[in-house]
Amino acid sequence: MPDLLPDRIPWFIAGPTLGLLIVGMFALANKPLGSVGAYGQVLSLARFRSASEPWRIWFFGGILAGGMLAGLMRGDLAFGFGFGALADELPMPALILALLAGGLLMGYGARWGGGCTMGHGLCGSSTRSPGSIAAMMTFMATAVVVTFLISMLIGGAL
Amino acid sequence: MTINRLGLLFGVIFGFTVRGARLTDYDVIHRMLKFQDLEPFLIMGSAVGVAAPLLWMMERRGWVTPLGGKLTFSRSSISRHHVTGSMLFGTGWAIAGTCPAPALAMIGSGRVLGLVTVVGIFGGVMLRDAVVAREATRVAAPPVIEPATIGV
Repeated sequence: MPDLLPDRIPWFIAGPTLGLLIVGMFALANKPLGSVGAYGQVLSLARFRSASEPWRIWFFGGILAGGMLAGLMRGDLAFGFGFGALADELPMPALILALLAGGLLMGYGARWGGGCTMGHGLCGSSTRSPGSIAAMMTFMATAVVVTFLISMLIGGAL
Repeated sequence: MTINRLGLLFGVIFGFTVRGARLTDYDVIHRMLKFQDLEPFLIMGSAVGVAAPLLWMMERRGWVTPLGGKLTFSRSSISRHHVTGSMLFGTGWAIAGTCPAPALAMIGSGRVLGLVTVVGIFGGVMLRDAVVAREATRVAAPPVIEPATIGV
């Protein structure tokens, strides 16, 4: 069923939807939404330990399913190497290494810093948590600087 | 509705929205971080712009949640780990051009390389937990550390 979705859901629909999800989870269950916590819960399950917050595992699975649903509705659900300009610039082995390193840094850093773009950036900053706002400003600034460095180093389409 | 079903439903809407708004595309995030595509900033800004006043109002009125008791926010004061951890996170974000939740939505729609990033994130979380566990056992029992008590 292709073309049921626009090429890109506009920001004034996507943004408030994400905001209402944050509000909804607080309003109904008194829980902050975040994804790194969900990764942690999935890890507990994988190690045969009881997960302290099993709903986060359902949330994790839901994100996978939701991504699939959007792909279906736009008619571009297909296997592919969706890494755009980065895949054009780097040969496959280097691309895989870069993505693995990027993932490791994100996992380690978010666990250490107490949250990610969702946990600190959307959720924590909406509750005006000083630590979350500091974390968000730090990872935003760092990501901008590192992106400019990558563009300078690799060049081309990046 | 149980909290598990709520988690699933919210996950589906979240994954659908980030994929639908193309926050799962490397090029969108990369261009955002170069200030060539401002829409992701507008998405984040409007999300917080909607959530913050509603949460503020609910907190002021002493909202009682149906599944989790009285609404409370666990706010944190700024400490060193927010900055150090977030510097690593920001570096990884810039390299991979995706963050932990969109990487999942990316896999869900068939972009197989998202899986590499997700494996990396799992590895990073495990590594950090191992470091924390090691530090904890070192502080708790300095003289003899038995392998079994390290536990990771």
